[in-house]
Amino acid sequence: MRSYRVIALILFSAAAVGLSRPTWAVADDAKTKAAQKFELRKKLKEAADAKRKAESAQPAKATQPVEAAKPVDTKPAVKLPAVLTPAALAKFIDQQIDARLKAESIPASERTTDAEFLRRVSLDLTGTIPTGDEAKAFLDSTASDKRERLVATLLASPNYGRHLADLWTTKLFPRDSDNRFVLKDPLRDWFAAEFNKNASWAEMTTKLLSTTGDVETNPEVTFFLANRTIDKLTDAVGTHFLGQSVACAQCHNHPFTTVKQTEYWELAGFFSKVVADRPRNVNKGGDNNKIGVKEGFGPSKAKDFFPEAAIKTSPKFLGEATPKFADREPYRPALAAWVAGPNNPYFAKAMANRTWALLFGRGLVEAVDDMKDSEDASHPELLDALALQFAANKFNLKDLYEAILLSEAYQRSSKPLPSNAKDDELYSHNRVKVMLPEQLYDSLQVLNATALAALPPAKGKGEPKAKPAPMRGGGNQRDQFVTFFLAGSETANQAEYEAGIPQALKLMNSKANLANFPNAFRAFFKPNVKPADAIEAMYLSVLSRRPTADESTRLLAYLDANGRDSAADILWALSNSSEFMLIR
Amino acid sequence: MFDRRRMMQFSAAGVGTLAASGWMNVLADAAKSSPAKATGKVKNVILLWMDGGPSHKDTFDLKPESKGAGEFRPIKTSASGIEISEHFAKLATWMNHGTLVRGMTSPEGAHARAKYNLHTGYREGAGGVTYPSLGSIVAMEKGRSETPVPNFVSIGNRSFGSGFIGPKYSPLIITDAGRGLEDLKSVAAAKAQTNRLDLLEQMEKAFFHDYQAGVITDHSTAYARAVALMNSKEAKAFDITQESAAAKGKYGTGRFADSVLMARRLVEIGVPFVEVALGGWDTHQDNFTKVKALSQQVDAAMSALLEDLKERGLLDSTLVVWMGEFGRTPNINTRGEKPGRDHYPKAWSLAMFGAGQRGAVIGKTDKEGATVVDRPVPPQDFLGTVCDLVGIDHTKKNDTPNGRPISIVEKAKPFTAEIL
Repeated sequence: MRSYRVIALILFSAAAVGLSRPTWAVADDAKTKAAQKFELRKKLKEAADAKRKAESAQPAKATQPVEAAKPVDTKPAVKLPAVLTPAALAKFIDQQIDARLKAESIPASERTTDAEFLRRVSLDLTGTIPTGDEAKAFLDSTASDKRERLVATLLASPNYGRHLADLWTTKLFPRDSDNRFVLKDPLRDWFAAEFNKNASWAEMTTKLLSTTGDVETNPEVTFFLANRTIDKLTDAVGTHFLGQSVACAQCHNHPFTTVKQTEYWELAGFFSKVVADRPRNVNKGGDNNKIGVKEGFGPSKAKDFFPEAAIKTSPKFLGEATPKFADREPYRPALAAWVAGPNNPYFAKAMANRTWALLFGRGLVEAVDDMKDSEDASHPELLDALALQFAANKFNLKDLYEAILLSEAYQRSSKPLPSNAKDDELYSHNRVKVMLPEQLYDSLQVLNATALAALPPAKGKGEPKAKPAPMRGGGNQRDQFVTFFLAGSETANQAEYEAGIPQALKLMNSKANLANFPNAFRAFFKPNVKPADAIEAMYLSVLSRRPTADESTRLLAYLDANGRDSAADILWALSNSSEFMLIR
Repeated sequence: MFDRRRMMQFSAAGVGTLAASGWMNVLADAAKSSPAKATGKVKNVILLWMDGGPSHKDTFDLKPESKGAGEFRPIKTSASGIEISEHFAKLATWMNHGTLVRGMTSPEGAHARAKYNLHTGYREGAGGVTYPSLGSIVAMEKGRSETPVPNFVSIGNRSFGSGFIGPKYSPLIITDAGRGLEDLKSVAAAKAQTNRLDLLEQMEKAFFHDYQAGVITDHSTAYARAVALMNSKEAKAFDITQESAAAKGKYGTGRFADSVLMARRLVEIGVPFVEVALGGWDTHQDNFTKVKALSQQVDAAMSALLEDLKERGLLDSTLVVWMGEFGRTPNINTRGEKPGRDHYPKAWSLAMFGAGQRGAVIGKTDKEGATVVDRPVPPQDFLGTVCDLVGIDHTKKNDTPNGRPISIVEKAKPFTAEIL
């Protein structure tokens, strides 16, 4: 893989010095491929070169504004390619991935089984496992296009937006004691509704960055209410919308990034007129639906909005021209137009990379929040193409999802072969991912609901309750569960298993898991049901698959030896297994 | 390459022969092959982590004559010539069993990166490696191999994990000491529970056989460790309700007091590394009100801890460290009506007690508390000293999964000889 990077760099440099200057040709022919050097990469490289040149000419001083000449004031718009259908983009993805595997002589694992695919795509798209009935229906379907249909159904499910809303609310609403009175649900609901109606990512971003009003009418103002200092806002824009960690440049010129301290504060300047209300103490009758955000006419006087070390300077885009503002003109719309515009070299790429990372457990650039140059990408051309397609397709996220989901690369099993087990970068087999706490909670709830629906109602006093108690209060209980599983961390990492002993104890022994109710197994093992069918029903509900012949034989013998009630043991083991808690 | 390593860690998940289940036996076999442990006089470390970065000029390095002097007065301590904040009145009597490091100087000024740096001795992201935190290193080098209670417990804080040395050395995290470790009791009868674990083990093995992912091993390891703890008598160390009201009361009230008390109970059963967090030190605003209240919490809990350790004969074999991720600006800022101090990694202080220390000061800042003028102590020198004290060779190299040898601490110049 290293040798490939060298080659990429050579091609890259060649493009930069003008030896080859192809433009983005119409890409409906999937053969237009690696040989094309993408405009975006070139522009990035030129900007980086110019920056380096300026730096070497005039060494940066940490506390003094540096006037680096930026030669990119009059740059042509990126020429966007023709939009490919999701199916055609899926083919392009596979060509790129397969070409690398072939070049490195690494064989690909088999295609997922229907059961693997169903479970993976359900969790990835909607954040929950399918019910046992849904699993059975999908596995038994003989339709040749059942995977395509499943993808379409899941993309249309309200849980699609809810899952994405969970992810984005976590990013834009820091878990912070300053935010204890700020309402989180309005932002989450707003995200869910926007994602579900497939609003353009650029439009959503524009709203988030330039919104004015109160929570009740414009819930997206919550982004400002939950980040009430200029540096938090600036860091969030860099990290979440541009995939560029700019925070270090707040205090000093960071040695590893190209963003300088002055540039940081120039970017921050766009927020300098923001006035975000402080949340009110709900214990004193405060109504935090009524607080909001506006942009004033001068530097914000909101309390503590500017940190001590803030450098107050006029707003300027990263590595680009200084915009001209009329007197009293708001700054944020200009920022939003730049961040979410088709010419921004980072915006589309950040979201394309992030989406890829959610689905594969690894970004094409692994550091999704700190992408730097795309020379770090495992497949730079693929990333650039996905970004350009996303931009050309008006930032249509569902289409991007569909393209990736329909690719053979996504549909590859996570079972490694002896000859590809060591590969962790080229997508010869998929990563086994860790469920986020929200996914685990919702999946447990799917099981819980199945049992609740199937069990007889609780009898009179003195009788043991037949049913597990339904989890009350939705949001609140879910939030508590999530907090417990994060154990103090800001966010969970899908690539690393971070849950520990207290979490295992909770799943093994507490009422959070329906399998810990002695009667829960009866939902699958009613008096008239044969043992083999009960085992199958439990496997379908918990693992979304049927047991193998071996498993079935072994567990029938187990039931035979230990009695009917020992089906509770099987349900317990299934719902505590790593196969249940991981995304295979 | 990951998978073989993970599989070995799975086998050596750090628990003994605790149950008849085959699951447990797999773990026990490998535990026997654990390497011999280094021997140092100090057997336990309690790290009191002052989250947010405490102001050195308002705790252990007061400069009443300086421009940015704080509101607190210095008081004399049991160590001659050492003065500390008036809000550490009880702790002052223990200073002759401690050391103040006033020469701390570190490279990171943002919380997350600074915490990482001070916990690991490395800068986040360097070399593409996730480095183990101090607690995980002590757990690996000094941990007991046959034990149901993990060798690293972190209370009230997520802390930092075991990085490339693997999940066996990751901390057990207790979020609320008052509630202890919950859900320790199995819902099934003993026989059924054994059956359940056998079923689970078969499922885990089959799944790992097919998918071979490290995260499967991590899941199995967490479960094996949880099961070991359920079966152990030592689990009651996590139950602070077993302490009398008087024994509890002298630590103060609140989560930090409960956590420090739990730390003592854990050290008593031989847990080599316990980390306890106290948040709230990020005093950009209202510095003096906040630091006073926090100092009082520390004063009560920490002096009660030292007293209890002494009574139990554990003070010389236990190192108690008080520190955060950096200090705070020598000048007072101008934020609002109640000003504070901002992040300052260039010069700051930490304090250590027990472990046979006898009232030394390492390093000195200028009259503003702004620059270290004598014996600057970078994080590596401090971490190297802790390693020395507990008998860990800090120059030892551990291999990353890619086979790259990484020193426990790089380029450390410890000050061990100066404090004993």
